[in-house]
Amino acid sequence: MEFVSPEGLRLDGRRPMEMRQIRAQIGVVAKADGSASFEMGNTKVIAAVYGPREVQNRSQQISDQALVRCEYSMANFSTGDRMRKPKGDRRSMEISLVICQTMEACILTHLMPRSQIDIFVQVLQADGGTRSACINAATLALADAGIPMCDLITSCSAGYLNSTPLLDLNYVEDSAGGPDVTVGILSKSDKVTLLQMDAKLPMDIFENVMQLAIEGCKAVANYIREILLENTKQLEYRRGR
Amino acid sequence: MVGLSIGEKHFIQGGIAQDIRTDGRKRLTYRPISVETGVIPQANGSARVRMGATDVIASVKAELGKPTPLQPDKGKVAIYVDCSPVAAPMFERRGGEELATELSVALQKCLLGGKSGAGAGIDLSSLMVIEGKICWDLYIDCLVISSDGNLLDTLGAAIKAALSNTGVPKVHVAMGPSGDEQPEVDISDEEFLQFDTTGVPVIVTLTKIGRHYIVDATSEEESQMSSAVSISVNRHGHICGLTKRGGSGLDPSVILDMVSVAKHVSEQLINKLDSEIAAAEAYEVES
Repeated sequence: MEFVSPEGLRLDGRRPMEMRQIRAQIGVVAKADGSASFEMGNTKVIAAVYGPREVQNRSQQISDQALVRCEYSMANFSTGDRMRKPKGDRRSMEISLVICQTMEACILTHLMPRSQIDIFVQVLQADGGTRSACINAATLALADAGIPMCDLITSCSAGYLNSTPLLDLNYVEDSAGGPDVTVGILSKSDKVTLLQMDAKLPMDIFENVMQLAIEGCKAVANYIREILLENTKQLEYRRGR
Repeated sequence: MVGLSIGEKHFIQGGIAQDIRTDGRKRLTYRPISVETGVIPQANGSARVRMGATDVIASVKAELGKPTPLQPDKGKVAIYVDCSPVAAPMFERRGGEELATELSVALQKCLLGGKSGAGAGIDLSSLMVIEGKICWDLYIDCLVISSDGNLLDTLGAAIKAALSNTGVPKVHVAMGPSGDEQPEVDISDEEFLQFDTTGVPVIVTLTKIGRHYIVDATSEEESQMSSAVSISVNRHGHICGLTKRGGSGLDPSVILDMVSVAKHVSEQLINKLDSEIAAAEAYEVES
């Protein structure tokens, strides 16, 4: 099947190096300490952060740093066919673990010992790149909650179909069976905190695809910074400065 | 949720006794309701309803299925509620299952009528394709994104809005050569049947605090309740379902009074909802 037409257009009309349209909003769940919604094309996720708060399970308490927990769940209606069991399946547990480890890399946990930070991510619509959208939403939600972080983590995916590296795969391109590289970086220090790939790629092409994904992450980071700046201006305005 | 101090509890109870609640509303006033339709493009119909800080999404998916032998001339509807952990940390993993089951059952009682399917708010016979063989199965999935009290009313409103937004595809049937064979069905991509939701009831929950009842309680007010009665009323003022929750006993005359108050409140709620749904659909068509 042709994923890149001879003129260089993908199935949804994008160029190979073009990301989908991103949109983010801060403060969507009033009761959470911090929350954000993030959309990458048709993929929509909401992240909520509760914490730092007292550890619920005493046995898991860590005496010199905060405990970071994450849960990823998909809504019943998020995929094309209705999902029967939205929670507790292995894919959700794996993604929860991945998000937890990724976010832990940037949270300054030693500043909040014996406490717990909960990150909950809910997928409303899944159209490829849910992992990346969740990490981006979690970054915004953590910033909204005022949790000290050393850097912003952003994530993006890239693939390789019809001999072309493609940025930000949607569901159809992802299910095509080609490789799918997901990268998460610390935006200021340019360090990679998350790197996952499936299928196989020759080494030199892998470097290209990974570089493309990192460029995508940087673009997301610029957008996230704008959103956070805008949000801070709003807060200052309401405070009366 | 942080507990309430004694002073705050007195404040809530005293305010309600004087018809001034903590956010300035009167006892029988709803919070501002906002409705958005078509939020889930891949579903047949969907809506997102916000009542104050309570936020829920309802989506309707239609699949072809076989009608039950007991009611061969009716389609099937299943309502399923999921409490997202985003709404409250206690909903993580299986924590929200109890509340979700309670809400699903209450919604099914209010909207779908009895076991025989009689008296359903949704006209199930319009879901028929071929009697006895093929019918539409509607799966209504609700997701609670943010919870600040009065979940049942908000879910009822979301389901009503999602059903108004639902388009069931028209089906062209080609009968097989013999009557027993499974006929071929061709689901149209172009033509849709809009659902008629004028008969769908709304749910009004009256929460009793002290000697008075309030409508649309926030979660702080709900923590002070002695009991709550949820009544589903349709446009004609008929009661379609009733559930009482809470441990405190109620005198039967009090319940009858609550029912008449609910009928009165439901008129305004139905009008408000209908106008919000119409505005949302108009906005969706424009954009």
